[in-house]
Amino acid sequence: MDTFEVDLDDCGPMVLDALIWIKSKVDSTLTFRRSCREGVCGSCAMTIDGTNWLACTRFIKETNSRASIYPLANLHVIKDLVPDLTHVLAQYAAIEPWLKAPAPPPERERVQSIEDRKQLDGYYECILCFCCTSGCPSHWWNGERFLGPATLLQAWRWLADSRDEATGDRLDALEDPFRLYRCHTILNCTRTCPKGLNPGKAIAEIKKLIAARGR
Amino acid sequence: MSSPPLRSPGARARGLGSARRGSEAWLAERISAVALIPLTLWLVISLVMLHGGAYTDFVGWIRKPASSLLMVLSLVALFHHTALGLEVIIEDYVHSAAKLPVLVGCRFLCVTLCTTGLLAILMLDTKATP
Amino acid sequence: MTGSNTARPRSPNIRNYRPQLTSVLSIVNRITGVALSLGAIVLVAGLAAAALGPQMYEPLRRTLISPLGKLTLLFMTFAVFLHLCGGIRHLIWDLGIGFELRSIYVSGWIIVVVSGLLTIATWTAAIVLGAHS
Repeated sequence: MDTFEVDLDDCGPMVLDALIWIKSKVDSTLTFRRSCREGVCGSCAMTIDGTNWLACTRFIKETNSRASIYPLANLHVIKDLVPDLTHVLAQYAAIEPWLKAPAPPPERERVQSIEDRKQLDGYYECILCFCCTSGCPSHWWNGERFLGPATLLQAWRWLADSRDEATGDRLDALEDPFRLYRCHTILNCTRTCPKGLNPGKAIAEIKKLIAARGR
Repeated sequence: MSSPPLRSPGARARGLGSARRGSEAWLAERISAVALIPLTLWLVISLVMLHGGAYTDFVGWIRKPASSLLMVLSLVALFHHTALGLEVIIEDYVHSAAKLPVLVGCRFLCVTLCTTGLLAILMLDTKATP
Repeated sequence: MTGSNTARPRSPNIRNYRPQLTSVLSIVNRITGVALSLGAIVLVAGLAAAALGPQMYEPLRRTLISPLGKLTLLFMTFAVFLHLCGGIRHLIWDLGIGFELRSIYVSGWIIVVVSGLLTIATWTAAIVLGAHS
């Protein structure tokens, strides 16, 4: 574990600024992902003072004076603060996150009422930073098979989309003791989402829909 | 540590596919939970009223038809809920070959305990006690 | 990258992640559940002992009302109410209600406080009844 001292008068206000300062002034080998520096790309997700957040939207003054910065929890580490997202991205791909509407496409847009479009609010904004999945104890113990909150939130995004026609198949693919039902509503996910989204609620909606279709 | 099979990330994520079941156990755990809300309150209140009473007090109480009925319902709901809850815990933490035997053993234990309780109530109610 | 990352270490999870009300109350709900499973065994033991006659019932009763027995029962009472209130909180979530972060925290603290109060109420009642019998 490395310890760095940062001159806060010489550095921007965010944790990412501190990392960039360290890389530029102290240790140029320090490796981390970053891109937009404004909390919309999800690259700089890491575990700061024991909780997951984006380094670019976490103020240094909100961290401990001895701030602990670790790579995103429970993921294989490629180097320094760079986690291997291969498995969690593969889980995301496995839910087939695209519109499935095999009927011949309409001449213009696929119509969707304002009310129907509102159903996607709170879900389409996910930036796939994986803060939630990385902070989920159930994913720690069963992440091989449990899809985790990020993927399940996106699964709900497509279930909730009125234009999608594969709802039944999507629910079939999700209804599994491990893929979905390892979620025990621990809610670390909702607690840690740096975009203020609610994976816990999305998962509850999936479970409700599955329960409803059986009766 | 043995090396994993050389599978693509997609194959690893998809695994054996969805079991397409799991909602029944989830729902049963919740239905038994709802039943246990009033039944647990009744149990706690009853045990407080008995507050370590002597044998004759306890037997006199269980022989009341209402007590027997509610105790039977409590045992059934309790052990159904307990079995489901413990099974979830075992699935969460046991991943080796021991998982299936432990799951089966847990279910057998819960059924045996529940039956023991029901049989005891029957014996007490019919005065078939030694 | 495929399959080769098992040689790489994993970043820490439970040893580094900060315990929060969400995760702590969740594991408490699980621990109380397991404790109550053990309590269920004692319940059945009590019924079985009673069915087998006073000579089997009496030792169990005396164990339960011994100081250690009473202490255990006190913890079990708290466990019952924590699991009951926690369970109701879960049932409300299962309806899709109460997921806003503020609601999660408020409901979390409510169940801890209510469970404590119910435990105190139960034991006060038991002591008062015991003093009058």
